[in-house]
Amino acid sequence: MAALGARRLLRPGRRWFSETVPGAPSPPASPLYPPVVASITAKSKAAKSRRLQRFNQRVHAAATVEEKLRLYGKLQRPKYMVYPQTFALNADRWYRSFTKTVLVPGMPPRAAAAKPPVAAAGTTPEAGRAPVPRAEAPEPAEAPEAAKTPEPAAGAAPYLDMGELRSLACDALLQESFYQNKKRPFLYRDQDHTPGPFLTQLVSTLAAFLSGRNPLLAASSLDLNPEVNYYWHHGEEVVAHGHRKGRVDPVRFQIDDNPHLQIRVPKQLPEVVPLESDLGDVPVVDHKPSKLPLFKKQYENKVFIGSKVADPCCYGHTQFHLLPDKLKRERFIRERLEDQIEVVYRSNGIASLFAWTAAQAMYQGFWSEADVTRPFVSQAVVTDGKYFAFFCYQLNTLALTAETIKNNPRKNICWGTDSKPLYDVVEDGNVKGFNDEVLLQLVRFLLNRPKEL
Amino acid sequence: LFPGVRQAQWLTKTKLVEGLPPAVQGIMDNPAHGLQELEERAKHAVSHARLWDTAEVAPRREQYCPVLFENLIHICRLMSGKYPSLSKRMLARNCRIAATWERESILLQVRGLSGILMNSMTPIPPVASNEEILATKEHVLETFYPIAPTIDLQEVNVYKELNDTGQCFGDGYPYSHPHTLFFLESANVRTNRFRPEQLRAKMLMFAFGNALAKAKALHGNDPKVLEQPVVVQSVGTDGQLFQFMVFQLNTTDLVSNDGVKNLVWIDSDQNLYEKAQCVPEVKKRVVTKPAGIYGFQPDTFKKFLALYLHGTV
Repeated sequence: MAALGARRLLRPGRRWFSETVPGAPSPPASPLYPPVVASITAKSKAAKSRRLQRFNQRVHAAATVEEKLRLYGKLQRPKYMVYPQTFALNADRWYRSFTKTVLVPGMPPRAAAAKPPVAAAGTTPEAGRAPVPRAEAPEPAEAPEAAKTPEPAAGAAPYLDMGELRSLACDALLQESFYQNKKRPFLYRDQDHTPGPFLTQLVSTLAAFLSGRNPLLAASSLDLNPEVNYYWHHGEEVVAHGHRKGRVDPVRFQIDDNPHLQIRVPKQLPEVVPLESDLGDVPVVDHKPSKLPLFKKQYENKVFIGSKVADPCCYGHTQFHLLPDKLKRERFIRERLEDQIEVVYRSNGIASLFAWTAAQAMYQGFWSEADVTRPFVSQAVVTDGKYFAFFCYQLNTLALTAETIKNNPRKNICWGTDSKPLYDVVEDGNVKGFNDEVLLQLVRFLLNRPKEL
Repeated sequence: LFPGVRQAQWLTKTKLVEGLPPAVQGIMDNPAHGLQELEERAKHAVSHARLWDTAEVAPRREQYCPVLFENLIHICRLMSGKYPSLSKRMLARNCRIAATWERESILLQVRGLSGILMNSMTPIPPVASNEEILATKEHVLETFYPIAPTIDLQEVNVYKELNDTGQCFGDGYPYSHPHTLFFLESANVRTNRFRPEQLRAKMLMFAFGNALAKAKALHGNDPKVLEQPVVVQSVGTDGQLFQFMVFQLNTTDLVSNDGVKNLVWIDSDQNLYEKAQCVPEVKKRVVTKPAGIYGFQPDTFKKFLALYLHGTV
C-alpha cells in the first residue's frame, strides 16, 4: 500500500513539478496501522507472554491496594502449603531457597547510641521491695524469690532497671506455672496450659513497661493469635498430570501462619543494612519441593498481615511464636535428631517473617513486578516456653518469580540466634537460674524503633 | 445465675447507688491524665476489633468481643509508661472462684469460672466515706415477699464449704488483691448471652464473692464489720454495651438483715459505639453509608480507663 502511494506521487510529479516540493511525504502524525503484536487467544508462547503482560498491566493499574491484592490472587491453582512450624529435616535450607534468604548467625549490629545503658545489678542486698506487699499476705511469706535482685538505689531515668524487668518476668512465670491453680493440661496440649499464657503475660507487661521509653510501642497494636498469610510464585515446573499436562507453570507457595502474639506499629522499623547488600549465599536445592515433604492443595490465595489494609498500624514490629507440643525438644532428643532442634526454630523464624514482611510490602502496593524500593524489617521471637530464639528479617526483594529473578541481585536477609533458656527450673515459688541476656535481648527487640523517635 | 440485680442485692446485703463513685468520676474529669488523646486510639481499637481483624468480611461476636477487650486493655496498660505503679498488675484468665456465706439461715455459695480477673499488689482504697457506710444502717433491704429470695438458685448439697482466696491462688502470691473482674458475653447466639440485667447481677455476685473471700483471708472467718472495707470493681460487656460496677464490702456479718450494709455503684448500659458498618451500604449504585464506626462515645472508654486507673492514681 505504501508503494502505490509513492508511485501516485511520482507520476503527477512529472506534470506538476513546478508546484510540489519533491521529497518524502511528511511523516504521519499517528501510525497508520496498529502495532503488530502477538494474539491474545492463540495457543502460542508469544500469546501467553502477551496475556501475562496484560495481566501485569492490570495489576499495575489497579486503583486501590485491595483491588491489587484481589487481582494478584485471583487465579486459583494447586499450590504448596509451606508450614513455618514443621518437623521436616533441614527445612530451613529449603525455606531459604524458596524465599531467597541469606541466614546470618547472630544478631545484626545496632548503633550503640540507640541502646539505653543498663544498670548493673546492685551489689548491696536491699530488702526494700520485698516486705511491702508481703505485709498484706495473711500467710507467712514464702522465702522471697531467689532470683529477685534488689533495685539499684539511684533509679536514674536513662538506665534500664534490670531488677524491675526481671521481677516482672519472674512474676509472670510464677503466676502461670505455680500460683494459679489450674486443672491438669489436656493431652498433648501442654503448650496452652503454661507457656502460652506466660508468653502473653510477659509480652504485655513488658511492652506496657517499656512504652514510656519507646513511643512506637505506645502507638502499637497488640494482636492475640492473629493470622498471617502470603502467596507467591518461585521457580518453574512442568505440570505432571491432568488436562494441563505438559505446560510450564510457576511453582506456587502459600504460607498460613498463626503466631501466638504480634505487635504492629504505624511506622516502619529502620533498615539494618542497605538494600543491595550481599551478606552470603542462598542455598540451591535441586529437588522438587514435594520432596521436603511439601504438599499441594488449591484454595484461596490470601495475603494478610493480621488486619486489613485500612488499619493505620500496617507495619510489623515483633512476632512471638510458640512451638507446639509436637516439636518439643525431648522428642527430637529421643529420636536422636539433636541437630534438628535448631532447624525448627530457624525455619519457623524465616518462613513466618518472610510471610509477614512480604505481606506488609504488598499492603504498600509492591509486588513481584513492582519490587520494593525500601527494605521492610521485622523481628520475631520463637520459643517453646523455656528456650528463646531471636530473629530479625530484612525483606529486600519480592521479585521471586521465574522472569523477575533472572536479573535480580538482591537477597533477603535473616539474622538469627540459637535457642537459649530463659530459666532453669521453677520450684517452690522460686525461679532458678534466670538468664539475664535472654531477657535483655527481648527488651532490645521491644525497644527497637525508627531513628526519628 | 439468673436473678436480677435486686435479688442479688438482697442476697449480698447491698445498697445500690446509681452512677459511678465520685473517686472514679474524679479520675475521669482530671485532664492531667490525657484522656482526650486516647480517644483516637480507642476508636482505632474499636475499628480493629469490629472491622479489620479478620480476612473475612465481618468478624463474629466470638471473635470481636475478646479482641475488643484485649485492645482496650492494651491501651490502658500502655498508660503505665506514665504511671509506673500500673505495672504492679497482673491479669489472670479462667480463674475459678468459690465463696460461701450465710444469709438469714440460708447457706449460699458462689462458684464458677469468673471470667478474667485483674489483680494488683495494692488494694483499692475504700470509695465511700465512713459516714456513708454508717448511713447504710438505716437502709432497709427490699424483700420480695411472697417470693423467696432464693428463687432460681440451684440448691446443691455442699459437703465442703469452700472458701478459696477466691482467686484460687497459692500462698505468697504478690498480686493478692482482686482489682477488677471482666466479663465478656461473647456467645454468637443471642440466647446464649446474658441479658444486661442478668449480667449486672452476675457481676455483682462474683464481685461480692471475690471481696468476701479476700476479706475472710485477711480478717478471718468471723462475721464482723470491716474497718478496712474491701473494694472490687467489675466490668461486663457484650462487645458494644458496657456495664460498670464498683462494689465495696463493708461487713461480713451477713446473717442478719440490719446493721451496716455493703455498697455497690452501678453504671449500666453504656454504649461504646452505635453501629459498626463492615460493608458500605449502597443504595442504587450510590454509597450512602461508607464503612466505619458510627456513634462512637468516648465517655464509655473514659470510664473503662478510669476504673483501670483507680487505686493507683
